[in-house]
Amino acid sequence: MFSRKLVALVGAAAVLAAACSSGSTPSPSAAASAAASAAASSGGGEGCVVGVSWNNFQQPRWAATDEPGIQQTVEAAGGKYISADANLVNEQQLTDVDSLISQGAKVLILLAQDQNAILPAVQKAKDAGIPVIAYDRLIEDTSVLYLTFDNVAVGKAEAAALLEKVPTGNYVLIKGDPGDPNASTFLPQGWDEAGLKAKVDSGDIKILNGPDGTFTDAWKTEKAQSNMEAIIDKANADGNKIDAILAENDSTALGVVAALTAKNYGFPPLSGQDGDPANLNNVALGKQYVDVWKNSLELGKAAGQAALQLCAGTAIADLSITVDSSVQPTAGATPMDFTTPGNNVVKSFILQPTPVTADTLNLPIDAGWYATKDDICKGVDPATGPAACK
Amino acid sequence: MTNVADTAPASGQVQPPARTSIRGLIAQTEIDLRLFGMLLALGVILLTFNILSGGKFFQPTNMVTLAVQASGVAVIATGMVLVIVSRNIDLSVGSLVGVIAMTYALLMTDWMPNILGMGPDFPFRWLIALGLGIGLGALVGGLQGFIIAYIGVPSFIVTLGGLLSIRGVVWYLSSGAARSGLDPNFQLIGGGAQGSIGGTLTWILALVGCVAIVVLLLNGRRQRRRFDFPLRPVWAEVMLGVLGCAAVVAVAAFANANLWPQGLAARIAARDNWGPTPEGGWQIPTGFPYPMVLLLGVTLVMAWLATRRRFGRYVYAYGGNPDAAELAGINTRWTILKTFVLMGILCAIAAAIASARLNGATLDVGQSYELYVIAAAVVGGTSFAGGIGSIPGAVLGAFVMQSLAYGLSFMGVNSPGQNVVAGIVLIIAVGFDTFNRRRGS
Repeated sequence: MFSRKLVALVGAAAVLAAACSSGSTPSPSAAASAAASAAASSGGGEGCVVGVSWNNFQQPRWAATDEPGIQQTVEAAGGKYISADANLVNEQQLTDVDSLISQGAKVLILLAQDQNAILPAVQKAKDAGIPVIAYDRLIEDTSVLYLTFDNVAVGKAEAAALLEKVPTGNYVLIKGDPGDPNASTFLPQGWDEAGLKAKVDSGDIKILNGPDGTFTDAWKTEKAQSNMEAIIDKANADGNKIDAILAENDSTALGVVAALTAKNYGFPPLSGQDGDPANLNNVALGKQYVDVWKNSLELGKAAGQAALQLCAGTAIADLSITVDSSVQPTAGATPMDFTTPGNNVVKSFILQPTPVTADTLNLPIDAGWYATKDDICKGVDPATGPAACK
Repeated sequence: MTNVADTAPASGQVQPPARTSIRGLIAQTEIDLRLFGMLLALGVILLTFNILSGGKFFQPTNMVTLAVQASGVAVIATGMVLVIVSRNIDLSVGSLVGVIAMTYALLMTDWMPNILGMGPDFPFRWLIALGLGIGLGALVGGLQGFIIAYIGVPSFIVTLGGLLSIRGVVWYLSSGAARSGLDPNFQLIGGGAQGSIGGTLTWILALVGCVAIVVLLLNGRRQRRRFDFPLRPVWAEVMLGVLGCAAVVAVAAFANANLWPQGLAARIAARDNWGPTPEGGWQIPTGFPYPMVLLLGVTLVMAWLATRRRFGRYVYAYGGNPDAAELAGINTRWTILKTFVLMGILCAIAAAIASARLNGATLDVGQSYELYVIAAAVVGGTSFAGGIGSIPGAVLGAFVMQSLAYGLSFMGVNSPGQNVVAGIVLIIAVGFDTFNRRRGS
């Protein structure tokens, strides 16, 4: 009886998945006018068709910032932008790449659903002589150009901001999904590089919730909230005061703020990353101290520029991109070697994240970020609020 | 907390059990041993955590947090009991909570001020939002119920479709971004120091509870005498009354031992000119938080619906034997449809608690609620074979599961560890129950 239901369940899920993924990518919203200006430097992209395969367009970020960044750069130079959405399905992404190639794509920008499952598609592109840009997520193949933000640097920026504000005291560590290498490896590595580990070893900083902190299933806000409530209760029961909270990203930071509010705890300095509108609003309201912001408009722009140059026949090693100085790669405007976890060496542009505090809230506003000034300054008293909200 | 429903006399007893053993004595009080066992299990869990944490766990603040965290799932679990009893399942509750929570957030941050012209000062905004959310819940629940009851698509499939498609709607509503900034009155639904009914009202509520227990006991005795049913011995009646009252008063006293945080009290005192801070700081009891009061109300209403109303009896009759119920002239389709409407309404209440607690909504509010809710109902003694299940049991089940999650979290155990424990407890609880039933039959 139950197995019959199970078969039906699998069938229904398959039908639904197929129905969802057959829809084409929605056209981009108009944002990021900044992208157009930089495109001029690349120039001469007539006839260049840039094919982009998104793994999951449902995430708001891609439609809001990355796609406009790429599209406007490409189109301003006279090129053509085409795209497809794989809706989290590996096989769909392989089909998408096929169809992008058959539509005449001269360069492929791939946001891989899986860094290994995408390899057959990369091979096909190589066979057809089409250069591939691994966008935001690594692809384990030496022929690609890897374009991303420095995730270790994100962690480093989070911890550096908090450690400067609260050099000694009791810290709480809120991490993301335990299965995500960003949550368990890269971001904590950044924290340690910023000096967290040294301070814990020297006793300047005490971690209230165990040596490894608390993970949050699927980065869920509700889960972060209930975890934080238990941590606050425990700290109160132990007679400890929470001096600072290192949260890995914005969805968990949002849960932390909700827990602090419910407990009327006040708002100790708190970190996050992503530049989500609700979190930037919390920065303006003084409920979150720092939000490390990955300006993905610039990442899109860089991808567009690289694609245009690849179209024109430039070799990967000779590429050069022009991005805003705030995200400029530490290695400069030329590609540097990046050794992947699979011990492949690929050429890469690794952009730097921007820490945003109440004093620097104007950065995302001025850059045309999808969180508008109205979003960010909602409920902020102009008289006492940060300068960006005046 | 909800002893009123448990201690209500079960009618239809054939013979008074012999008064020969301890088992016989307990049987004479007609205490539901299942529920009693679960209360005991809950007690053991709390006690274990208290010992492990060196006595820091079992404190009013912590228990109030636990109760608030459990309330959303518990509210829906009361409805899931009826759905499972009638041999159906509802997998869409988590997504429905998500879409309604997002609706509340959008209503109060966007639609009301910008489209409907209801600014922040518009009276009863929170109530209007709540009403619209409940309406939406009833509508979606009714639609699913209609497809299940009248078109005959299995509930597993219909609500699985709901789980996927409704979650997708949340994304279209919000474009994936979090929304925050709810009406201050609405936020009170989520609890917290200001979102509690306060010391006096808590005592009044406890008093009302006590009186209700006594009245119910007396009334039950009168009814039994009238219909010539066997009476409970007087000592058992008195004991139930005293224990019930004592439990209610103890819970109220415990909740009232939870005080407002000093910082908040000082801030409000300064704002409202309460005068100088008294010796030892402000001592303002919070009492029961609103989500707990909501849960209490929902539990009472649902238990009444299930055991005292024709609708509830039909649900159990259908679950026990669908064909017999149909042949007996019960409009089974209408009954099933109503269980799903009820489910939608309960989801709207749970969504109000969740979004008020977050002061907004994110894309993932309510995610995997369906699993917690089904687990709560099943741990609370609801049988997948249909026809068996109790509403107070499901509420207790939710508390058992949440006390584990909260306790492990309190002890610093990470979520993978919490999930391992929750899964094992679920299997043990149901396994134990199955074993007991088999032995009993």
